[in-house]
Amino acid sequence: MTITRRDLLIGTAAIVTTASTGARAQPIQDVVIGVIYPFSGSSAQIGVDAKHAFNTAADIINNVYDLDLPLARSAGLPGLGGAKVRLVFADHQADPQKGRAEAERLITQEKVSAIIGTYQSAVAVTVSDTTERYQIPFLSADNSSPSLHRRGLKFYFRAGAHDEMFSAAMFDFFDALKKKGERIETLALFHEDTIFGTDSSNAQLKLAGERGYKVVANIKYRANSPSLTAEVQQLKAANADVLMPSSYTTDGILLVKTMGELGYKPKAMVAQDAGFAEKTLYDAVGDKLQGVISRGSFSLDLAAKRPMVGKVNDLFKVKSGKDFNDYSSRQFMGLIVLADAINRAKSTDGEKIRAALAATDMPGEQTIMPWKRVKFDENGQNNYADPVLLQWVGSKFVTIFPVQAAVAEAVWPMNKG
Amino acid sequence: MLSAETIVQSLASGLLMGLLYGLIAVGLALIFGLMDVVNFAHGEFLMTAMYATFGLAVLVGLDPLLSAPLVAAALFVFGALVYLGIVRFAMRAKKNIGMVQIFTTFGLAILMQGLAQFLFTPDYRSIANSWLGGKTLSVGDIFLPVPQLAGAVVSIATFGLLYFVINRTDFGRALEATREDAGAVALVGIDRNRVFAIGWGLGAALVGLAGAIMATFFYIYPDVGSSFALIAYVTVALGGFGSVFGAFAGGIIIGLVEAITAMILPPSLKSVGIYSVYLAVVFLRPRGLFGSI
Repeated sequence: MTITRRDLLIGTAAIVTTASTGARAQPIQDVVIGVIYPFSGSSAQIGVDAKHAFNTAADIINNVYDLDLPLARSAGLPGLGGAKVRLVFADHQADPQKGRAEAERLITQEKVSAIIGTYQSAVAVTVSDTTERYQIPFLSADNSSPSLHRRGLKFYFRAGAHDEMFSAAMFDFFDALKKKGERIETLALFHEDTIFGTDSSNAQLKLAGERGYKVVANIKYRANSPSLTAEVQQLKAANADVLMPSSYTTDGILLVKTMGELGYKPKAMVAQDAGFAEKTLYDAVGDKLQGVISRGSFSLDLAAKRPMVGKVNDLFKVKSGKDFNDYSSRQFMGLIVLADAINRAKSTDGEKIRAALAATDMPGEQTIMPWKRVKFDENGQNNYADPVLLQWVGSKFVTIFPVQAAVAEAVWPMNKG
Repeated sequence: MLSAETIVQSLASGLLMGLLYGLIAVGLALIFGLMDVVNFAHGEFLMTAMYATFGLAVLVGLDPLLSAPLVAAALFVFGALVYLGIVRFAMRAKKNIGMVQIFTTFGLAILMQGLAQFLFTPDYRSIANSWLGGKTLSVGDIFLPVPQLAGAVVSIATFGLLYFVINRTDFGRALEATREDAGAVALVGIDRNRVFAIGWGLGAALVGLAGAIMATFFYIYPDVGSSFALIAYVTVALGGFGSVFGAFAGGIIIGLVEAITAMILPPSLKSVGIYSVYLAVVFLRPRGLFGSI
């Protein structure tokens, strides 16, 4: 038999049809999400904890749990026929350039549908530039620099608060204390030199100016310095009513140790989270930090009102050996918000997920956070993410502000001068 | 704004820190002076010593001050083994010997960091209670942290001892002879490998001593060595490659320059002072202040 052109065409068509029907019969594809964190280098511990938080969230999404969280009661994503979420972890080593390269690799090699990250705001800048270029959504789980959502990016989303919101809460708290007759006039800012510290101190400077507080020292230092003696001397000389550090864990530990060595006891300390939310810092120098206040997004005190929070925390604790903190809670919630959008998008296409994220409206009760709701503005920022202030008392954090979330009165000042 | 008290306090802190920088750097200078090999794993040696001190404090309850000699001895053995097991073979390379040595010690650094992260997790550790930790001596309005003060005393004593060993003992003369002509010493019955192994051991033991002291006031994690190692390289280059006493002087200069810069400029720029001095030395006296090459 001679093969004619027509036979060949029909044959090819038949093969193509079989192939495509075959594909349809195949099991549902996993939804791949890229997770970019520091897994080595000076903030590797953050990555290790983050991995547990994301795995806890993926576990709740992929399996059936009786929790009042989106996607908990179903196995996988119902909108995609029960597809499972698969996480691919990448290490950015706190280096913005490595972050860019890893984001590119996740998108082109691992074919991820979305990326979540990054802890350091400086890395979030390069990662979100890359996702924007490839039209893939980036969920900024725990970055707090306000400038991140002001770059006109279409694919950038942040469910948590940024440092202007956090700092505003601090100044609301100062105002409330002043009304009660406490003397708070001078502030000392102490911040590291990347985008996190700089943005944080800029926000605090602006608020101090607006609300009539005098900034008597504004000290910028190099992150991971071998010594902070000179810096602490200047803080001591300024002896402000409130010391406001914006530091990652390593510098936070060294700051507190150096303050002890140079005999400086600040009257009060209100920290911009970061290192001051980490258990390791309190393990190292917690005895010197009785009464320190840190802003936060999360409080385990919420479990009393919303038992689901305690249950989710238990799931996380089994994996990590730690309670949720400000970072791990936002990382956990970030993946839930992202998966919820992919589920509603019923697609792994970047543009469709973006549209679904933009349409997100999740009531606060369905989160583990003290937020009113999750709803993004045109810049991808959730303005309903109410921050809280926490005070380190004994060996745990107690919510002290705002009043509706507080479980105790603040101890003020921290050290009587 | 600059009171006399602030200036004295800054200079005192700078001097203490500088003596410690010197102690951290001297092992690097010693090894380089002996055999022209830059140990890029120097920071990781420091990290290992800090973890060893931490381990002894937590598991056996040994105070860092008591464990310092033990840690130094352990690091001596470790350093000698690194030479005998790794560096000795790297030095046999026929081509590109400099590159081979760099990659060997650099690879060792990455391996040690990775191992530390695997074994000890990347969590930040610190020794909560020690005889020295957290204590401060105040003279008038000047505060001198006891751990750094102890570091300074150990540093001065160590340099004194080193001076004696190098100038007054047979081993010191063998060290010097091997440094000058490693081939010729074989003719007079000095075993080159033995001297090199002891040199590496000594270099590691010195940084081990520094690590034990530092563990009382600094946090410990797998990457802790990198920022100190960078300063150690500058110290060695400033003092003169291979000069043990150059490291001493270089350390003090760096500590003081750092403190003075932080007084004049914003503290975030304090390393600018260090590197400016370093650049000036490299331009005007490329072999370093006390270098002999």
